[in-house]
Amino acid sequence: MNISATRRFYQVDVFSARAGVGNPLAVVLDAEGLDDGQMQAIASWANLAETTFVLPPTTPEAHYRVRIFTTRQEIAFAGHPSIGTAHAVLAAGLAAPESGLLVQECRAGLLPVQRRNPGATSTLSVRVPRSRIVRFADGGDELLWRALGGCAMGRLAPGLVEGGRRWWLAELADEQTVRSLQPELLSIRDLAGQTQSLGLCVFARTPDQPYDLVVRAFPLGVGIDEDPASGAANAAIAAFLEEAGALDTLGDSYIVSQGREMARDAQLLVHLDPDRNVWVGGQCQTVIRGELRW
Amino acid sequence: MRPHRRFAQLDVFANRPGAGNPLAVVVDSDGIDDQAMQAFANWTNLSETTFLLPPTIPGASYRVRIFTPRQELPFAGHPSVGSAHAALEAGLALPGDRRLVQECAAGLLPIRVDGDGEARRIFVRAPRGRVVPIEVDPASWRGVLDGLARGPLPPALVDNGPRWWLVELNDENAVRAGTPDLAAIAQLTEATDAVGLAVFARCDNRDYQVVVRAYCPADGIPEDPVTGSANAAIAAWLLHNQALPAPCYTASQGREIGRDGFVHVEVDDGGDVWIGGQTRTVVTGTLDW
Repeated sequence: MNISATRRFYQVDVFSARAGVGNPLAVVLDAEGLDDGQMQAIASWANLAETTFVLPPTTPEAHYRVRIFTTRQEIAFAGHPSIGTAHAVLAAGLAAPESGLLVQECRAGLLPVQRRNPGATSTLSVRVPRSRIVRFADGGDELLWRALGGCAMGRLAPGLVEGGRRWWLAELADEQTVRSLQPELLSIRDLAGQTQSLGLCVFARTPDQPYDLVVRAFPLGVGIDEDPASGAANAAIAAFLEEAGALDTLGDSYIVSQGREMARDAQLLVHLDPDRNVWVGGQCQTVIRGELRW
Repeated sequence: MRPHRRFAQLDVFANRPGAGNPLAVVVDSDGIDDQAMQAFANWTNLSETTFLLPPTIPGASYRVRIFTPRQELPFAGHPSVGSAHAALEAGLALPGDRRLVQECAAGLLPIRVDGDGEARRIFVRAPRGRVVPIEVDPASWRGVLDGLARGPLPPALVDNGPRWWLVELNDENAVRAGTPDLAAIAQLTEATDAVGLAVFARCDNRDYQVVVRAYCPADGIPEDPVTGSANAAIAAWLLHNQALPAPCYTASQGREIGRDGFVHVEVDDGGDVWIGGQTRTVVTGTLDW
């Protein structure tokens, strides 16, 4: 193996209408020849929530294969890495969508990615593996209530959902409650450990805003205090609302605002298709384009 | 249309990619305002991001501004070594130049370049370290030293810009196998306005003579992979005790968290500490910000 091989490298801002307001992702194209240990070392060194590696597909139905690493481990699927990888693949001309569709091969299987409005404001959405409600919270979930610190709650009881990974989801009373929440991070960390979940997501409906839902995500289970824009977590919220019969005010397509509390301003598009599958997506910006030598 | 700026992501104190401490460098930073610099340094999520600018002081080779994800710093070691590397690679300084002058918020700092190509080592003179006389409430130390096999030197607080607690351990194994109480370290460093605590041991190894680990839990960094300022502080403390292994030595840091960095330390005749090392260019490209 040629250890000084150069590979095309992108660092992409995901779920953002302009550079810097979304969730960054490092993408290594031409990843053939990197072994698992090297991929993990690159992801750890890059120090972003996720780093992805693009490989030729192993099945003719897929346009490309992606492997997704956090700084600690490989994961089967995540939303923002799927969207950002599709953006980099298209920007580099590695694949062309057919009828607007790309098929991504990842450890969670073959997942379609839909492109809309080709051009500067094009959006990409990925169909997310289905989440289900494991259970609703009750008075015995002390860590959850401690994490929420007695804030004003919304219509639904908080729930634990599972879709590959687990999240606690809690609807709060209104936008102000979500934006001003100062959650008890140690309780979320313990809650994540105790329930093998990533952590806690809070959300509220925002009837008078240009977006429909405000979301914050605290994935202490993977050592991150707050995530600026969460693909899979937003898909989990949509599945939770749909299973609980509470999508009424939102409909089958809605817009999410996330990240302002950490000086970002991400926007995510959530859509439920006629088969009630959840798609999550948004715009991406190429911030860094270059080569990687490892 | 925003300009495409040259960008590099480097591995500092590394003799191969991935062994050291990453640094993002924006080479052409003219026209990026303070807020946009801070936003980009937050977005990269690296411990530091630097921005190269034309010098404003006669005699300086280039100017650098250094940002963490949260704030601008007057000076830091690994960003200075990496920025000098980037300036040489980008042609902002001539490759034949063996001595550069870096303009940063802390003033003008001399840089020395040894060797060429991959073996090139870049040294920066660290701000002079001062041992801080301090009486610490024993309660603040509770848990910090538990289970650690201490070496001959007492714990000390050294200020060389940041303030570092330094604890000498008995031998290399005590440093490498130690599992420090991070909550206790966070309490101690917060109570004494220190950036972190570094443990070290003198050892007699073919490739290095000091082994180091640095913990900054109160700053959100449980363990730093390879730390310029902590190594400079340790050298100042060893000099203060006439306990330097040699005027020039090499420190090993980062193996316990999957890295393998080497910091080269030199104490000159005037008692100043220089820290240096090799740098690997991992990513080169353009930035659109």
